[in-house]
Amino acid sequence: MHRFAVDPGSTDISPVSFHPVLWICAAAVFAVIVLQSVIYLRAIRKAASSANLTDEQVMGSVRRGGIAAIGPSLAVALVAISLLPLFSTPAVLTRIGLVGSAAFDVAAAGLAAQSQGAMLGGPTYTQKVFAIGFAAMTLGGLVWMLTALILTPILAKGDKTLRTVNPAIMTVVPTAAILAAFITLALTETTKSGVHVLTLLVSAAVMGLCIAGAKFLKKPWLREWGLGIAIFVALAAAFLATAK
Amino acid sequence: MSSKTATLTGLAAFDRTTSIWGPVTLGLGFLVSLAAALFTAFGTGLGITGHEVWTAFAIVFATFGIIAVVEPIAYYPILGRSAMYQAFMIGNIANKLLPAALIAQTDLGEKPGTRRAELIAGAAIIGAATVHIVTLIVFVGFLGTWLLGLLPEGLIAVARLYILSAVFGAVTIQAIVSMKNARTTIIAAVVAAIVVYGVIRIAPALTNYATAISVIAVIIVAWFARKRTATDATEAPASIGH
Repeated sequence: MHRFAVDPGSTDISPVSFHPVLWICAAAVFAVIVLQSVIYLRAIRKAASSANLTDEQVMGSVRRGGIAAIGPSLAVALVAISLLPLFSTPAVLTRIGLVGSAAFDVAAAGLAAQSQGAMLGGPTYTQKVFAIGFAAMTLGGLVWMLTALILTPILAKGDKTLRTVNPAIMTVVPTAAILAAFITLALTETTKSGVHVLTLLVSAAVMGLCIAGAKFLKKPWLREWGLGIAIFVALAAAFLATAK
Repeated sequence: MSSKTATLTGLAAFDRTTSIWGPVTLGLGFLVSLAAALFTAFGTGLGITGHEVWTAFAIVFATFGIIAVVEPIAYYPILGRSAMYQAFMIGNIANKLLPAALIAQTDLGEKPGTRRAELIAGAAIIGAATVHIVTLIVFVGFLGTWLLGLLPEGLIAVARLYILSAVFGAVTIQAIVSMKNARTTIIAAVVAAIVVYGVIRIAPALTNYATAISVIAVIIVAWFARKRTATDATEAPASIGH
């Protein structure tokens, strides 16, 4: 049924975003991570005694890592759920949940939509815009995988040129790039409509409160959950503002 | 003597396994993602041209490419070689994998940088990845998709339309707070305002590249305006891409 519903101009993105092939790719990404974990765990257990580790200590570390990840994983799941209406389950599971991050993937898809003269989620958010946005965020994410694949062996050899990169470059450049990217994206939102401005400000304010609460009330979980809470409160504000 | 040989064999075997299977599995992840991207763009019969995808990717790359190069270099000393291949596939490095690895290392009285710490980190990341995958499948895959079906159309339409503002507001504050760099924040805010409210009004043709222009301009200005003190370079950059 879905196959016949493919129409580049349709704003019902589900025939493309829930395409069986995307489900298969999502399952394949999960399978690759499981495969990697199995291979690594076997290798770690074999080498453990040589590094003065008992098997109990190795399995204890697996458990410890798992327990430490419960909070962050649930926080990521909350953010991922908020993005389901926009990107649908397969893309959200693989991009926001695993390889990528909400911040990068939403930014990448937004930039891609803009290149089509469209806006994510609005009346111009067609199957075609979704497809280009998904392709752009995935291809963009591949750059990280590629740099990790290329740079890791070089760094492992203790390459001198990379190690002697001026440490100032390593702090100034990423700080400047991240701040510039997200402040520009946030300001671009303000040019769309009054409700967009309201949503942006509510989201920023809630995040600010969560970070302040984490610091002054000594509740570190507030920082972890900040993004998810901010997104939902801001969307609720947008809903109330448009419901009138 | 023999125990020393065994030591070398044990860790050498680990190095051999991970230096082959680390890149192979990360490479597989790469290929699956690439296939998904290419299929969505070209295999669904939407009539998307290579030029359109290339343009969209070029904009994303111009904006974030430099961060993708810097992050592996920044994380390598903390993660170690073998865990790099885990981290850059599983993602959520700064908010999940690093804390999990550090907690497990602290429990066993180990500091990052030793071979023992590398194995502990690898084990902790496996635990974190398992919990993360189960959480995603249960809460997002099943529960989330089911929840989505229950919500009224109007609510979903609002969520779709304003989600970008809702994400960027919080992420921007998060970035500003975690960077702790007032100087660069002010530079970025001024440059971004000039680009968004000035440059693209005057030259709408540049709209697509507004974010990339800001990124490059802020890097250049921040570089020349940086504090030239010895304490310049201690903190590792926070992650956004993963």
